[in-house]
Amino acid sequence: MERRNFIKISALTGVAATLDACRAPDKQLIRFIPEDNLIPGIAVWKPSLCTLCSAGCGLQVRVMQGDAEVVRHGKQGVIKMGLAKKLEGSPQNPVNAGKLCARGQAGLQVLYHPDRITKPIKRSGARGAGQFQVISWDDAVKELTSHLTALQASKSANVLAFLGRPLRGQRRELIEKFLKAFGAPPAVWYEPFDEAVLRQANFLSFGHAMLPTLDLARADYVISFGADFLGAWNSPVAQSIGYGEMRRGRPGRRGKFVQIEPRMSQTGANADEWIACKPGTEGVLALGIAHVILSQKLAPQSAGTPAASRAGSQIAGWSAGLPEFTPEAVEEQTGVSSAVMMRLAHEMTLSGSAAAVVGGAPLAQTNGLFNALAVNALESLVDAGRDEGPILGFTPEPPLSNAGEPAAPAQASFAGLNSFAQSLLDGKAGAPQMLMLYEANPIFTAPPATKIREAIAKIPTIVSFGSFIDETSAQADLILPDNAPLESWVDSVPESGSFQSVISLAPPAVSPLHETRPMTDLLLGVAQQLGGDLARVLPFTTFDAMLKAALLPLRAQSGSVTATTDDDFWQSVQTQGGWWSAPAAAGLKSAARKPAATPADKQAPTALTAPEFAGSAADFPFYFQPYVTPSFGDGSTANLPWMQELPDVLTTAMWSSWVEIHPRTGEKLGIQQGDLVEIASQAGSLRVPAVLSPGIAPDLLAMPVGQGHENFGRFASGHGANPLSILAPVVEHTTGSLAWAATRVKLARVGGPEQAKLVLFAGRMSGFPHEEEPR
Amino acid sequence: MSHKWGLVVDLDRCTGCEACVVACHAENNIPTVGKDQAAIGRTMQWIRVERTWEGDFPNPKVRFQPVLCQQCDAAPCEAVCPTYASYHTEEGLNGQAYNRCIGTRFCANACPYTVRSFNFYNPQWQKPLNLQLNPDVSVRSVGIMEKCTFCVQRIKSAEIQAEAEKRDLKDGEFTTACAQSCASKALVFGDLNDPHSEVSRLASSSRATKLLGELGTKPNVTYLERGAWQDANNG
Repeated sequence: MERRNFIKISALTGVAATLDACRAPDKQLIRFIPEDNLIPGIAVWKPSLCTLCSAGCGLQVRVMQGDAEVVRHGKQGVIKMGLAKKLEGSPQNPVNAGKLCARGQAGLQVLYHPDRITKPIKRSGARGAGQFQVISWDDAVKELTSHLTALQASKSANVLAFLGRPLRGQRRELIEKFLKAFGAPPAVWYEPFDEAVLRQANFLSFGHAMLPTLDLARADYVISFGADFLGAWNSPVAQSIGYGEMRRGRPGRRGKFVQIEPRMSQTGANADEWIACKPGTEGVLALGIAHVILSQKLAPQSAGTPAASRAGSQIAGWSAGLPEFTPEAVEEQTGVSSAVMMRLAHEMTLSGSAAAVVGGAPLAQTNGLFNALAVNALESLVDAGRDEGPILGFTPEPPLSNAGEPAAPAQASFAGLNSFAQSLLDGKAGAPQMLMLYEANPIFTAPPATKIREAIAKIPTIVSFGSFIDETSAQADLILPDNAPLESWVDSVPESGSFQSVISLAPPAVSPLHETRPMTDLLLGVAQQLGGDLARVLPFTTFDAMLKAALLPLRAQSGSVTATTDDDFWQSVQTQGGWWSAPAAAGLKSAARKPAATPADKQAPTALTAPEFAGSAADFPFYFQPYVTPSFGDGSTANLPWMQELPDVLTTAMWSSWVEIHPRTGEKLGIQQGDLVEIASQAGSLRVPAVLSPGIAPDLLAMPVGQGHENFGRFASGHGANPLSILAPVVEHTTGSLAWAATRVKLARVGGPEQAKLVLFAGRMSGFPHEEEPR
Repeated sequence: MSHKWGLVVDLDRCTGCEACVVACHAENNIPTVGKDQAAIGRTMQWIRVERTWEGDFPNPKVRFQPVLCQQCDAAPCEAVCPTYASYHTEEGLNGQAYNRCIGTRFCANACPYTVRSFNFYNPQWQKPLNLQLNPDVSVRSVGIMEKCTFCVQRIKSAEIQAEAEKRDLKDGEFTTACAQSCASKALVFGDLNDPHSEVSRLASSSRATKLLGELGTKPNVTYLERGAWQDANNG
């Protein structure tokens, strides 16, 4: 008999006696079976996938054996199990190539968060009062299925609603198939900073309803209109890798980059040149530059290629050389001098390879689509006719039947949420009677004018699969906690960040710590139990079986895995942390854009529309820009202590939120650093500490998103304020996307530093001069 | 051949993203202290990102600079420690022997880079956050001074592995947690005694400077200056 087996058996047989012998619960022993592949003190690396933003970076998890205090079958005890100790980027994954951002590193704290819901719970007090009682999984599943069966029996399956955060991959496939076969309407996928405007613009300009992938490593000149590509926008790790190479990866060739935005972001702070333009006029500025290029014939002759003229043809007046956008006219509208515009036009066209990118606040205006189309037209103009492919391209979709690229951009998620809320508030027949909630927190992230809180309160039954109590899941009647991502089968199809098509996928890196169950397996089990169409379209008992079935067709494709049998293929996909296609040859990257004719060609060109703002300039003298930080995203990682105590890189603030004000504005209103100020819009008001910053236009106030949680656990609740809570429900005119940068506000001092309690890390080296050191 | 560990920080690549800061917390069991302690300047960071503002709107400029223990050859912190808790290792690191430290904080006063963190309280990891602790790194208790070790646990484990396999350590075989996470490759760690290592190559760049080098501390961390668009040099 092997020693290991001996230990196992003796531990198992001895355990019953030991358990009964121990009276005090903290002394009780639970069976002690070390995980087979772990040797005490020796670390193994397991693949996983970061789910803290949509970039879909691959992880490798350092797993070591350790003692964990757990509860099993109502008894508390200590168990030896594999524990995740450190997250690194997966070196093989084409998106992040071994690198990981600050937020990604903190994924460990999601797993080991003390506020995790550890067992199924059921509401025992008034809704939202936060009183829950623990129930068994059997009862919990029974309750879920009985609700669903009742809906089926009463022929009202269409009153089931699903509200979640947008996902890409088989998890989304599962949910959508479930809802369709059940007879429910499609899921409401909601995120406050959705990219519907950019996808729509890229669809019209380039034929792809996707976020762009930037090949920055090859760029000589990048002009970014508001895109925080080194911070929180799109695929920041992939973009930071490219940025480093752009700056210093090619001896003797250092790319220049210009950032255009009225509030200096982390990305803007790294730019060689930072240019503030008036909010909402970014598109005008792009066309001003294009006007110079066209009128002075700076672009190569071949700028009239189909691809270039296609993006240009979306803009009214393009073929006539944009007569309305003379530098002088554009200077008047944007506040950027015509000399700067002309210089930028010359620099761009003289550089070896150049790109224009748009993202963030310019898209969150009422004229967001115009801004995006204008920058796309400029992009096509400057990269046409060059020897190398364009810097801005698109990630090919993996060759899977159900992962095809969307034929048209999806509806803006804000529009979806609005109609969901409206149907409830109207109380019409067919309004949702049962809600399944998954990783979305609209009560925190949607402007209060949507009345989402009131709408959700009207739903008789709310089931959440969340791991934490937050503002929205606190309203649930039943919470069936999902495993943490590191404890789950995870998959994602990154939309951008790579010129290979990528499916990131991994088995659980560690066993579940708590008595949680994967939401995916739960839905599959329910589907089997309900039978009928559901059991037919989802013929799996576990999610990994569904993943395997979905990925096996890729064995025939050339990619990162070559295997002779299906089992070998599946094994290799798991150890590699996914599947990706063979790297594209350098010259082929340009083919990633479709110049082909699509219905978009029939679209009438978009003409200039001026941005509109909620609130008059007389009553509300300041523009207001909430912005996403790398630490908190949309606020869903604000409960991680590493993120709370990470100093904001520009202001050094920790554990709080703040508003950035230009010192001249502060002086005018008697506001000093650290004072408490009140910001009010048409929709509401909030109080935050003031940070005086030279990197912001004097007529703009900017505030980070993510703080101001009222009910999100011990580390997030009660810090700062939520800028989304004072947004007016203004939308981008064409797509219906939330125009989160189109609310105007007023500002007043209401207290001193002792009320504001701003916590700054500050420069600890302030006592030392910063002048040049001798070489 | 003995090693001399060094780090190069390329300020032209650094984006100020602070991935290094969180990676360091995770690798080295650095506690968070909470809002109240943070408000009185007691946060613990072995690496921080400094920012310097110059100019005003509409032409403000920001420079980011990661600052960590410079692992000085002539370290002011070592000379002042009455218990030899701050000492010089054979490989040139500024060691910190936690069990010799009595918390005089002389070293923190002496350090011109203010990179040392003091444990004013016993660190707290609310259960089960304690499960994330790296078993290769001691958890420090109240009254102890701590600072960047160049991830000495990674150095030791790589050296032991190489010795067991009777071979030399290869450049890039392992790196520190901060450098491993750094997406733009602003942080490069390696052996300065190996003339072919990447860190040696970069440290001899014409852009190389030492932080407060005029103090004579002989740091083993080298900063490469930011460039401008026009002067793309051979860095």
